[in-house]
Amino acid sequence: MKTKKKGRLRDDSRWAWAMLLPNIVGFIMFMVVPVVATFVLSFTKYDMLTPPKFVGVQNYIDMATDPIVWQVTGNTLLYTLLTVPVGMCISLLLAVMLDQKIAFRRFYRAAFFLPAITSMVVVAIVWQWIYNPDYGILNYFLSIFGIKGPKWLLDTRTSLVSLAIVGIWKSAGYNMLIFLSGLQGISTTYYEAAELDGAGKWAQFRYITVPMLKPTTFFIFVMSMIGSFQVFDQVMLMTKGGPGRSSSVLVHYLYQNAFQYFKLGYACAIAYLLFFIIMAITLFNMRMEKNMREIY
Amino acid sequence: MKRRMIAGSMTALMVVLALGMGVAVQADDVVELTFMGWEASPLETQAVEDGIAAFEAQYPNIKVNYTPGLAGSEYNAKLLSSAAAGSLPDVMFVSSESYREFAAKGVLMELTDLFDDNYSLDDFIESSQTIMSIDGHVYGVSACTVSPIVYYNRDVFDAAGIDYPSADPANCWTIDEFREVAKQLTTDDIYGVYGLESVADTLNAQILSNGGTRYTDDFMHSTMNSPEVKEVLETIKAVRTEDGSAPDASTLDAVGMSAKQMLQTGKVAMLVDGSWSLQELAASGMNIGMAPLPSYGEVLTTGQAHLHAIASTTEHPEEAWQFLQFLSGMDYQGALVKTGLWMPNRYSMYEDAAVEQWYDESVHGDSYRQMLDYFMNAKVDPSALQLATQARDILIEETDMFFKMDQDIDVTVENLDTRIDAAIQDAVAQ
Repeated sequence: MKTKKKGRLRDDSRWAWAMLLPNIVGFIMFMVVPVVATFVLSFTKYDMLTPPKFVGVQNYIDMATDPIVWQVTGNTLLYTLLTVPVGMCISLLLAVMLDQKIAFRRFYRAAFFLPAITSMVVVAIVWQWIYNPDYGILNYFLSIFGIKGPKWLLDTRTSLVSLAIVGIWKSAGYNMLIFLSGLQGISTTYYEAAELDGAGKWAQFRYITVPMLKPTTFFIFVMSMIGSFQVFDQVMLMTKGGPGRSSSVLVHYLYQNAFQYFKLGYACAIAYLLFFIIMAITLFNMRMEKNMREIY
Repeated sequence: MKRRMIAGSMTALMVVLALGMGVAVQADDVVELTFMGWEASPLETQAVEDGIAAFEAQYPNIKVNYTPGLAGSEYNAKLLSSAAAGSLPDVMFVSSESYREFAAKGVLMELTDLFDDNYSLDDFIESSQTIMSIDGHVYGVSACTVSPIVYYNRDVFDAAGIDYPSADPANCWTIDEFREVAKQLTTDDIYGVYGLESVADTLNAQILSNGGTRYTDDFMHSTMNSPEVKEVLETIKAVRTEDGSAPDASTLDAVGMSAKQMLQTGKVAMLVDGSWSLQELAASGMNIGMAPLPSYGEVLTTGQAHLHAIASTTEHPEEAWQFLQFLSGMDYQGALVKTGLWMPNRYSMYEDAAVEQWYDESVHGDSYRQMLDYFMNAKVDPSALQLATQARDILIEETDMFFKMDQDIDVTVENLDTRIDAAIQDAVAQ
């Protein structure tokens, strides 16, 4: 009887492996191999045209002394600091508002989600128009109040902020949707009990909604953080890292080294710098989340 | 019954295989070449596709699969990744700026013997000769020549009652005269000029005209920190900041309208741009005129153009060479010259009889006749001979900081030299 069960299990596991095989093969080919290859190439000088030459940790030493690496790392951190907290607050606010029973609720939900499914190319073109210092609607709007708008994408002081605004606008709807599903998972009994105890709306939000949304918030926080560190498309489409290097970020500099300056080995080293930064921040987040869970 | 079914299936399979092989054999007679270029405009892609159709009609044994790629540095990125993947096209455009780097890395098939058997290097204009020949070796055939010039909207000049600039280089405006006219043309709705700050193709000509240089003779060091270069950069900036006759750099692109469209619609009176823009401007039917660049001292423009090259990995060198010869011939090059996209790169094509074959009044107007020597004797663009492609990005970054963010001029040129020198050392060491 036992043997028969074991046999069936073995049979089942064979089937399971067979079914999983396409996914595993894809994962190995398109994830494991490139990750390992990138690591190996980061110790070489490689231009993609001639065989790679082993240079040890030279790329990492060069990176430490390359002022552009420091500048673009700083820009990337600033972009993350600008987009993640603000973007999450806006998403949560939208989610809470659209969780109420208001007219045209479905329409608003769809409207706020629309940027998330719009191609970045289209978004970039529209925002370039909006930001245009001479003809853009944003500066026109500001001029109504007598404010002379900045040059947005064309000024080193505002270019990164301008990109961050686009990043927030694009991702707010997606994060709103996740917050919404989190909100709908909170049982109404908590709110009813709180009301009976005389808690106001703010107290309910502070002591019920926020703690109950913690897993959702943590998920959005980690994903937004990773997404912000990997920002590339709007930089490439809207500023190409300029003016100067004011809006260049790590992935943009990585791309330039790999595909424009014939320095793939160096680009791989930058990729690992990015990897370690993201890994460190994610581990820190996980530790924080664990500590918070213990407190609550 | 079962056996009969199996036998029947096997027979059917064999028939299908045999038919398939037949098709394959037939297909083997036709050599397929892959060809990659970029799209400066939809008109250019159309012209290339028309050229390919003409070639295929001449050579029915060769089929050319054309892939129009991205322009500029993204095109290089595409070539690099194709090279890494072992899937380089048989024949390709190579920008003059990256030609030396690609040739040095063995990507391009050496064509010296084939070239010498069919062409005379001396027939090519000096700028094309200099670009093509690397220590006496040829790895690509110059496609044409293109140079920065001034385009102007005649209607805007007429409305302002200002005389057109002379197309005769001997009588071209000095930079001071040019600035003065740009100021006069500027109104609330119209900018006098655009294009001086778009450094890609116009800056080098202005530096050379002022007696400056971009590099030392061996191209191992940048020479931007000179009074001549500083004067040019400061003059360009003053046209916008002091004269108020130019819009912010990139403003036009950011508005979603190209500089050419702004010229066509009369929002800009004069445009400094590459000669390739004539195709699009002439096709638009606007009332256009062309003139040489304003002079800082010496009257000149710079010349360069992409090259047609064969990948060293091609499996069809003979057919690729046949196609490359077609691309260098009068049927193809002449057709694109006729549309205004290119200018000829051979002395023989500037002889009177040859000019009559490609000169089209409806495209080139009356201006170009006076500018033929100007194009023919263009100085080679120093960017075409540079050793590090990164130099272009550095130039854009630093001049951006000067033009847009008031970075000090001395800091700008010092940074340029330091950073470009470092990029050259790095590229040479690779």
